[in-house]
Amino acid sequence: MHATEGATGVAAGGEAGRAGSARRRVGPYTLITALDEPRTQVPVPERRYIARRSDGRDTVLLSLPHPGGDPRRFLAEAEGSRYLLGPCAVPATAFAAPGEAAWHARPYVPVLPLPTALAVHGGPLPERTVRALGSALAETLAVLHGQGLTFAGVSPAAVLLAADGPRLSCFGAVRAAAPDGTPRSGLPGLEAGSLPPEQASGGRPRPLGDVYALGATLAYAATGHTTPERDELPAAFRTVVGRCLARDPGARPPLAELIASLAGETAADPGTLLAPGWLPGRVIAALAHQSAAVLMAEIPVEAVPVSQPN
Amino acid sequence: MPSPLTHDDPQAIGPYLPLARLGSGGMGTVYLARTPGGRTVALKTMHARIASDPAFRTRFRLETDAARVVGERYGAGVVDADARAETPWLATEYVLGPPLDDAVALCGPLPERTVRALGAALCGALGQLHASDVVHRDLKPSNILVTAYGPKVIDFGIARAAGDDRLTRIGVAVGTPAFMSPEQASGQEHSAAGDVFALAGLLVFAATGRPPFGHGQAADLLYRVQYTDPDLTGVPGGLAPVLAQCLDKNPFRRPATRDLGAELHDGAGEFADHLPDMLLADIARRATEVWQITPQRLPAPPEETETAVPTAPARLSRRRLLIGAGAAALAVAGAGAGAWAWSERGGAGPAPQPTAGPGGSQLPRKKLDSDWQIQVADPPDDTVPAQLHAVDNLVTLVAGKGLGGIVAETGHIQFASDQMESTWQVATDGKRLIRLVQAEGSENNAGKPGGFPLLLASVDLLTGKAAAPFAEFTDFNGVLPENQLVCTAEGVAYVAAGRGKFSDEGFLASQSWYLFAVDISSGKRLWTTPLPARRPGSGRLYFLSATVVGRRLVSLQEANDGSVRAVARDIRTGAVRWDRPLDGVGPDRVRQPLAVDDDHLYVGTGRLRALRLSDGNIAWDTRSGRPGATYGPPVVKDDFVYAAQKGHGLVGLSGTGGAVMWEERGGQGAQADTTAPPVIGPNYMYSKRGSELWAIAWNSTGAPVRSFKTTGDRFIAHEASEQIIALGGKFLAAFPLQ
Repeated sequence: MHATEGATGVAAGGEAGRAGSARRRVGPYTLITALDEPRTQVPVPERRYIARRSDGRDTVLLSLPHPGGDPRRFLAEAEGSRYLLGPCAVPATAFAAPGEAAWHARPYVPVLPLPTALAVHGGPLPERTVRALGSALAETLAVLHGQGLTFAGVSPAAVLLAADGPRLSCFGAVRAAAPDGTPRSGLPGLEAGSLPPEQASGGRPRPLGDVYALGATLAYAATGHTTPERDELPAAFRTVVGRCLARDPGARPPLAELIASLAGETAADPGTLLAPGWLPGRVIAALAHQSAAVLMAEIPVEAVPVSQPN
Repeated sequence: MPSPLTHDDPQAIGPYLPLARLGSGGMGTVYLARTPGGRTVALKTMHARIASDPAFRTRFRLETDAARVVGERYGAGVVDADARAETPWLATEYVLGPPLDDAVALCGPLPERTVRALGAALCGALGQLHASDVVHRDLKPSNILVTAYGPKVIDFGIARAAGDDRLTRIGVAVGTPAFMSPEQASGQEHSAAGDVFALAGLLVFAATGRPPFGHGQAADLLYRVQYTDPDLTGVPGGLAPVLAQCLDKNPFRRPATRDLGAELHDGAGEFADHLPDMLLADIARRATEVWQITPQRLPAPPEETETAVPTAPARLSRRRLLIGAGAAALAVAGAGAGAWAWSERGGAGPAPQPTAGPGGSQLPRKKLDSDWQIQVADPPDDTVPAQLHAVDNLVTLVAGKGLGGIVAETGHIQFASDQMESTWQVATDGKRLIRLVQAEGSENNAGKPGGFPLLLASVDLLTGKAAAPFAEFTDFNGVLPENQLVCTAEGVAYVAAGRGKFSDEGFLASQSWYLFAVDISSGKRLWTTPLPARRPGSGRLYFLSATVVGRRLVSLQEANDGSVRAVARDIRTGAVRWDRPLDGVGPDRVRQPLAVDDDHLYVGTGRLRALRLSDGNIAWDTRSGRPGATYGPPVVKDDFVYAAQKGHGLVGLSGTGGAVMWEERGGQGAQADTTAPPVIGPNYMYSKRGSELWAIAWNSTGAPVRSFKTTGDRFIAHEASEQIIALGGKFLAAFPLQ
């Protein structure tokens, strides 16, 4: 699963400013642009958009289920995401009303999905970037597991890169895709390499599955695919990522160990991993471009509804 | 970084709703603003007072045109503009990147690869501008925004189309000395090659953190730009020769932008690849933080009510006051020197009492309107108020038998001396306080035959004590009550003094009167010139107000018949250059600091008129433009003259032509007090109405925004401490000057 080069999709910085064309409405929002770059060909568990409330005030990251997906399961996971803690959590803050077509949303900040970041960077990300995002994601999963939750949806597309660190979206994508007991291989939106084998076969998602999925995602960041040859991985975390990808959940390392190996020789403070320079220049350029394009975007203004005399 | 809106920022500008302030300057304010469809832009507006000048509107329109020419690749893309609106506005993209000076402050000198990429991209920008026959003329680090995709050139305030003299005629094009071309510095044509010179200066700054001709006074910079070699110390070796070529004094030897661009950079990679991490991180931060701005509007300051501080009974000075002579005016409350009663902010004074708000609404606890106040007694007589002087960090005033020095910022009483008898015995140039001193033994013995010498001394600003006299003149009688220290400037004191017998019944026919100048450092008299004889028995002083402008001592003098004359003397000889009667001006109303600029003396109190300092002729008079309108005393600030127009409110006029550039609307303008000049702050102008000092915003509405209860009737700006000092009605008080 190699990233295509030179993605220039809207969300990576293309045209987002056209107003007046027929724009799709979802709930109180008008879609501005799709977040994901289809040319990366990395499965995304949700259809994600940058959208704006009709009053022009709130700009959001909006998610819709795939056609054919179960909207109730989709919304149930979004509901569950409200309680997520940790530095990379992106809890949903708005939801479809009962009876309305399913959607959920959270405030917009400029972000690039990990596959798009690889595309604009022109290949696998530098080791420093992988360490920083791996450490922040592992930290977030550790918090989540401490809350008694399993993320069940870590994948390359679920990782969003923002200026100040990664975000982990698509909470519960595996659970939403199909109920436990149903094989999940090949379901739309699930990226095969980052789906833990026990979950693929229908097992209930458990924390050690998140460790597998995180290993696969870091492998993707460092190599461009989720099922790397061992020697493709940077030597510094080859062993630990390899262990994350063990088929036997019991053989996977605890998150603390993953965090420690990712920190490597840098100071114990994980914050230093996100110091200036953690993101490559072209990824920052794409974030700035996206921010500028969304700032410039204008949604059609609704006519003020005329109140009905009664 | 963006800051919250103030309560008086407009609710809407064209189709835009302001969200936050991005910056504010002399010309206008830049907002982050949004359309109803959520498009978010940088919105540059022009102050209404400036927009009322067609020349500035033209400049605004030209800037908009130039921004359109440069386009969004090399500039801030223009979204929309309305140069004809009451408040002209220009909407551009909100550029996500720091100005180059901030970038260098953040990252230190930029690496060579960054400087080269920046230079090549700027060559592209200039090439595009020049191809459209536009020359920027004010390239400097703060006008270059560094984005992840390349630099953007902004602020075309003085850019002009080649051959278009509209702006030079306006006379506002100045450039920035540190990055000016030699031809611009010498007042010649600044062509495209001039922009190349400035660009190289920018790159030297980017590579070293220093401009190529250093820092310092504009005049020094202009000299160095024209005649000395640039300082390329610290410029990477590979860059120095090409930058030196661009900084050639001869514009024809500088490279063209296209050649320079190619020389600087081969175009490989993307611009972001060449930026240092710190700069990229700052760009990323800006791209993100703009989404985290919550529109906020600062609340209007609550209307406050001054709390009455119990007044100690005033003890009146026993000394006979010079009726109508601007003499001792305020007696200090309490008995004797140093007995200044005061209540400072948070100090030991009586605690302010909460006062019910209008309609009994639940307003926050009231507090004192003033930053501090000091209690002084009523004027002991129906004489004019004392003069306030801003001296260094102090404000000084003569009150009764004392000279008081109060720290303007805090209200702390630095000193209170008892050696003073008349306001006109003290003068200041803003830094130094000098005074006439009574010779020893003169007290209770003023009528001694032969009189006493006239003594001049500096006052110690810490103790209020007079130093040893710097000048002593035995040919004048130092105890004559009508002696006046008229003013001091540039190390020279101007004194009106008499010879002859002492009298406390006014002038005597036997006295002779003179104006003289004395050098403070040497104590030498520079010149002495006679004053016309006063009618015997009169107590009216010669001088009502005086100041030095350039080579002129400009004064308002009272004639024997009670009329007021404007008189200009040569400061080198004392010779009268011109002397002009001012009809309709009462002497008691013009005892105010003179409103002058380099070219004119402005006189209000009735019609408002401008007298040319060169010959005393009337340059303009509101009688022709606004017949019937009457004005209070004016004040000058930044080429504008401000005064309260009776029954109307504050107006701002062009000093050169007298055209009304701005006028107050709404509010309580009709009640504007016309006895004192307004006080002009950077954001507000202050004028008294009823018992309140009103702050009036410089915005399109010209509406009053807040008020301070005050008993003062005389106000001066103490700019160093950002305070307005108010005097009157038992109090000396300070209000924020904003």
